[in-house]
Amino acid sequence: MTQATGPVEQTQADQSTVLESLRTRLADLKDEPGSLLEALYIAQEMLGYVAPESIEIIAEELGYPEAHVFGVVTFYTLFYTEPQPKHIVRVCRDLSCHIAGATEIAARARQEIGAHPGHASPDGLLKLELVSCLGQCEKQPALMVNLDVHGPVTEEGVSDLIRSLREEDQ
Amino acid sequence: MPELLAVNKNLFVEDAWQLDVFKGTGGYERARRALTEMSPEDLIAMMEASGLKGRGGAFFPTGMKWKFVRADPNTPRYVIANGDESEPGTFCNRFNMELDPHLFIEGMIIAAYAVDSHFGYIYIRGEYGRAIERVEQALADCYADGILGEDVLGSGYKLDLRLRRGAGAYICGEETALFNSLEGKRGNPRFKPPFPTNSGVWRKPTVINNIETFACVPLIVENGAEWFQDLGEGDENAGTKIYCLSGVINNPGVYELPMGVTARELIYEYGGGLPEGRTLKGFKPGGASAAILTAEQLDVRLDPSIAQYNTIMGTGGVIVMDETVCMVDAAYRDALFFEEESCGFCIPCREGTPNLVQILERLMHGQGVMADLQLMEEIGDSMASSFCGLGQFAYRPVVGAAEKYHDEFVAHVEGSCPAGSCPIAKN
Repeated sequence: MTQATGPVEQTQADQSTVLESLRTRLADLKDEPGSLLEALYIAQEMLGYVAPESIEIIAEELGYPEAHVFGVVTFYTLFYTEPQPKHIVRVCRDLSCHIAGATEIAARARQEIGAHPGHASPDGLLKLELVSCLGQCEKQPALMVNLDVHGPVTEEGVSDLIRSLREEDQ
Repeated sequence: MPELLAVNKNLFVEDAWQLDVFKGTGGYERARRALTEMSPEDLIAMMEASGLKGRGGAFFPTGMKWKFVRADPNTPRYVIANGDESEPGTFCNRFNMELDPHLFIEGMIIAAYAVDSHFGYIYIRGEYGRAIERVEQALADCYADGILGEDVLGSGYKLDLRLRRGAGAYICGEETALFNSLEGKRGNPRFKPPFPTNSGVWRKPTVINNIETFACVPLIVENGAEWFQDLGEGDENAGTKIYCLSGVINNPGVYELPMGVTARELIYEYGGGLPEGRTLKGFKPGGASAAILTAEQLDVRLDPSIAQYNTIMGTGGVIVMDETVCMVDAAYRDALFFEEESCGFCIPCREGTPNLVQILERLMHGQGVMADLQLMEEIGDSMASSFCGLGQFAYRPVVGAAEKYHDEFVAHVEGSCPAGSCPIAKN
């Protein structure tokens, strides 16, 4: 299985190569009815997001109208139609985590990342998302960096975590 | 509490997710026996006699569901495991899938044989990375070992199972929305009837059960219907339930207990009670969709009969709250969740959920008026006509909290938060 979100660094030059290989990888899915979500996962893994060109190719290869594919992409929160920072920090904002201090955790994460939820950090590496229950309630308050689960997290812990994600990239 | 584990013992068996370890616990012997020694009719009768009901929160009798599917002459028929667990406060299916994936797969094999289905899907929410890995591995091991494919366990029966991932949408846990998602569509729900037993995925007869429901099946085959029936508390309940405990509690986690234990037993006997110095204020018995119960209602049984208290058992995700939790804030969290997760397909839900969020925000910022309390009820009344269960339940925790903790809501209108924890208290 491919990563749900694994933003990759990509230059303009090799985008066309990637799109061609997307076409090849979709070949396996042609005989699998209803495999659109899997196709979108593949597209997102290759470019880091579902580009308009990817939508076009998927529509062509799997035989959907482009509007249908676009409608599906935008329905599901794990798919992105724009390039994403490398690390998406997803802080649960639902009841159990909230009671356990998720609001303070989110505030600290926002401060460390230096951007409002939903926006990329100034260095372009990180983004905070306030999300629905992640199903990790025994680790309240819980968060995910892409799909890696952390919890229970403390405010200090969030600072350390974000710092280490930044250091990883230097 | 390992001594109480009946169905999900493997949650405490190291590496039970590996095929050879699972087989060492009797794994796939039940399916072998079912497919070679039992008739589909016997199996369905056994499920009916066991009293097994759907663990996803609707508690529909599993045997009856299978019977309906088998009785429908349309083919092909499908079997689906619903692993789109996304109800706030619920995480038991994650334990099933990460630690004991073969158990529910074995249950699916038995179900497929019982309804004469040769193809099935396992649908797992996209955020459950580890569960997806484990189930993917389990399926690969099954194919390599002849447990799935052309000749299931040497019985001559053919069965293929596919893993599919969701991509971040709570509504896809609703069975008809899940079918649409599997078919490569937006996860909007469909009108019922027709019900999935006659018109499920690809509009074909479909058994769709929760992961935990399927996990019960092999143990029923192994130990008999009566054994399972006797596990539950009282005559009305059969089997065990994996309760999830979170919030203000010493030991958050999963607890497999007889279906129908009281909230008091779960919270104090198994969950270790609240941290020292904290006093119980209320608890939600079944995730965000369930209306809150007060500390005085601790002795209610956590089973479907809880409906008599105007709440639901739901998924068994119990969230504990103490005196420091503001009930307006708690209701706000639920409203926010449903606003985010409303699919937008029908108007009462799409418009009602943000309306509730706005009112609760007003109350939490000292801008509420008494008429807001009435307005919430009116919005609730119109949301009752929503297209699917999401909207039909979304307002109940909000209206329920305002009713049970009326004085606290009124205090917010008057400009103070008795719990001292919502924005109004910090200004």
